[in-house]
Amino acid sequence: MIKKFIRILLLSLWFGAITFPFTGIRNAILLSISIMASLILWNTLSKGIIKREGIEIVSKRIQTFSSKIPRRILALFFIFLFLILPLFMNNYFIDIANLTGIYIILALGLNVVVGLAGLLNLGFVAFYAIGAYSYAILSTQVNFSFWASLPIVILLVGISGILLGFPALRLKGDYLAIVTLGFGEMTRLVLNNWDSVTKGPNGILNIAPPEVGSIVFREPIHYYYLILIFVILTTFAIKRINNSKIGRAWVAIREDEVAAEAMGIDTVRMKLLSFSFGAIWAGLGGVLFAAKMRFVSPESFTFFESVIILCMVILGGMGSIAGVILGAMILVLLPEALRGFEHYRMLALGAGLILMMVFKPEGILGGPRRRAELRPDDERIYMQEIEIISKPKF
Amino acid sequence: MLILENIHASYGPIEALKGINIEIKEKEIVCLIGGNGAGKSTTLMTISGINRPKRGRILFEGKEIHNIPPHRIVQIGISQVPEGRRILPKLTVRENLEMGAFTRGKKETERVLPWIYEIFPVLKEREKQAGGTLSGGEQQMLAIARALMAKPKLLLLDEPSLGLAPIIAGKIFKIIREINDKGVTVLLVEQNAKAALKLSHRGYVMETGRIVMEDSAESLLNDPEVRKAYLGE
Repeated sequence: MIKKFIRILLLSLWFGAITFPFTGIRNAILLSISIMASLILWNTLSKGIIKREGIEIVSKRIQTFSSKIPRRILALFFIFLFLILPLFMNNYFIDIANLTGIYIILALGLNVVVGLAGLLNLGFVAFYAIGAYSYAILSTQVNFSFWASLPIVILLVGISGILLGFPALRLKGDYLAIVTLGFGEMTRLVLNNWDSVTKGPNGILNIAPPEVGSIVFREPIHYYYLILIFVILTTFAIKRINNSKIGRAWVAIREDEVAAEAMGIDTVRMKLLSFSFGAIWAGLGGVLFAAKMRFVSPESFTFFESVIILCMVILGGMGSIAGVILGAMILVLLPEALRGFEHYRMLALGAGLILMMVFKPEGILGGPRRRAELRPDDERIYMQEIEIISKPKF
Repeated sequence: MLILENIHASYGPIEALKGINIEIKEKEIVCLIGGNGAGKSTTLMTISGINRPKRGRILFEGKEIHNIPPHRIVQIGISQVPEGRRILPKLTVRENLEMGAFTRGKKETERVLPWIYEIFPVLKEREKQAGGTLSGGEQQMLAIARALMAKPKLLLLDEPSLGLAPIIAGKIFKIIREINDKGVTVLLVEQNAKAALKLSHRGYVMETGRIVMEDSAESLLNDPEVRKAYLGE
């Protein structure tokens, strides 16, 4: 008991010590005290009133309740909700919603590579950038419309995914991450320095907005519905591939490459496919971004973007579509909501992620497989839930 | 059915196979025995295409297969049960089996499953459990069943008794015989030479990348050299 208390004390003091240089002594002490208080509270609560079992029973009940509602009706409900939502929002919120939508598409794309195939890609932003710039150039130099550019851009991004895949395939884990990181930075530097084509750091202005019939997209609400359609399309496509033979092959490669090979999976092709399939969605996100902003510059495609997208995937729950969507929502909306706190918001975000990794490493809506992987000692989770949730479809 | 002609292969920088010749006829159980590092596992890896031979030819039903990638080799009818089982621990038993039929498609999966469950009733019981929760013997059964899902003509087994209690290992060997009775040719690599030879029709003895002896299983069991070196007498 005393040992635990000392640990809490040290932890809070440590937090105070590292925040002290940024915040000043008064805030640091305040932060220490509040962390200490919340940790003590957590400790007493988790021991006494709400036991772990209790939490699990509640979450189980919610689960059985939600599993009783047919998935399709649930999906239709959400689509309906998002269809009427902008009617109650002002332009500022619609704009944030648009950004959220783009990030959802990006995060779902990265989820294919990281969550399913298990290939850590830290240069995902490169495909986002290639998509955005391709559309920008097609629109300003060749006068291609949004709809004519879309298939060309997607093809281009798909090919660039394969091109990155070839050298990266021999690598695993950390090494792969470094190579992809290099790819992301390279792309950004090329965009920054290839003045004749990309206009360098000035970026490309006056990108044509999309048109449907006689309607030219100008208002945020136009983009809202455009993006919503693409988010639904992405979700649907990724859900399908998740449950397909290819999705299974990705999972098998992630779990054990030699076994996958012995089972007759063409691992090289499948990995390339995951890279390029993931990249396609990043490209789509890029096109939407360029069309919405009507301006692109290399600043929008820094390494930090890759990290944020990866955080969305991890926070929400790798491999879970609903989780990734939720993760993207939280990470776009939270910084907006925390705008009042100025520079504390990144700190709060970081602290939130750390707490998440400690208490729920599989993510908010992480699937039972992830949970089993990250908590190998918890047999209860391991045995029961797989029985309920896993429905083999082939 | 399967012929290895003068196969040379390396395992990393080491030349693990120095020109071996093996022939397997249809419906046979053939075993490869030998000490650690003799090149038994490399032989299997080379047949299944995961390891490419440096020289020599591999013929399967009259066709050269040593230049074919591993996933195609599964398609033409050779499945391997890798050493150490290598099941997918977080996938359910059923999902593991479905992965085994990856090259065969959905209809075939439905058709083969009852046949598999007939040989391995315990897997039917554990259908929805995660593969990692099975006992060692059950995992080995799952690994074998998974390889069978691809409907192979030739099954390559790498140390199926590894890490199992003798009584469970015996059970596994019995199952191998049963599979062979159903018409599947088997190439077996084993440390447990006695059990392997009792099960097999013919055997090869390997030493440091070479075949040093080749005979019917019975004669190998009675050979004084083999008895001394591998049967602990």
